[in-house]
Amino acid sequence: MDFINAIPTHMDYDGQARAERLSRYIITLFGAVGLIWGYIIQQFSQTVYILGAGFALAALLTIPPWPMYRRKPLNWQPARDENGVIIKEQPSKKGKKK
Amino acid sequence: MHTVLQRGNSILAYALSVLACLTFLCFASTVFLDYRTQAKMNTVKVVVKNVPDYSASREKNDLGFLTFDLQTDLTSLFNWNVKQLFLYLTAEYETPNNELNQVVLWDKIILRGENAVLDFKNMNTKYYFWDDGNGLKGNKNITLTLSWNIIPNAGLLPNIFSHGQHSFKFPMEYTTSRV
Repeated sequence: MDFINAIPTHMDYDGQARAERLSRYIITLFGAVGLIWGYIIQQFSQTVYILGAGFALAALLTIPPWPMYRRKPLNWQPARDENGVIIKEQPSKKGKKK
Repeated sequence: MHTVLQRGNSILAYALSVLACLTFLCFASTVFLDYRTQAKMNTVKVVVKNVPDYSASREKNDLGFLTFDLQTDLTSLFNWNVKQLFLYLTAEYETPNNELNQVVLWDKIILRGENAVLDFKNMNTKYYFWDDGNGLKGNKNITLTLSWNIIPNAGLLPNIFSHGQHSFKFPMEYTTSRV
């Protein structure tokens, strides 16, 4: 169980923004290409299939929290007690964001 | 965007929005096309009988029988926004009772990819040509028209009238023998 919990599943803020932007680009691009290709061969079904392929690719690239979306972690200030003394971090407790 | 489910929801919604846009563009690319074309029609044998209409009033009404030729090439009507054509042959005529009578005599479905070059000779009608009275005997002006209903992927379902029609007259006498 510890092994499973140790798998990092989060994206940092920058990674979330990049994942969203990338998925929008991929789906828009495939949609535009599909529209042009479908118009050329006069088959709207091909347009839909190409858009579907774009959706699958975008899903694969941006839904799982790949490590490339974790490159800019937030630099948190160390925790302090009321006297301003830095509390030593507990290594076993990994606080999940949100 | 911070969980797997949120990201999945977001890109699915976006992909479906794009699909809606593409469908609209497909519709927009075909909405102004002219779907009319030439069709040649002719009647071969025309008789009229006076028989009881058991499906309605049981009174004796005029029943027309005809065979027809039909020649047309509908290949040019098909494009990426046409799934099928529903062809129908209509007879239009005027009687003392009604200013306009319209009777569908025959129809046919043509799917995209099927042979759309039609050349029928001496075809029987598919449906009975009943008049609601005695308006067929000796009627001098019955007009056959071919029309089609376009079934698209997205957009309107227009009924198009072909260019070309054929007018004929029914005989002055009832036929009593079997036809």
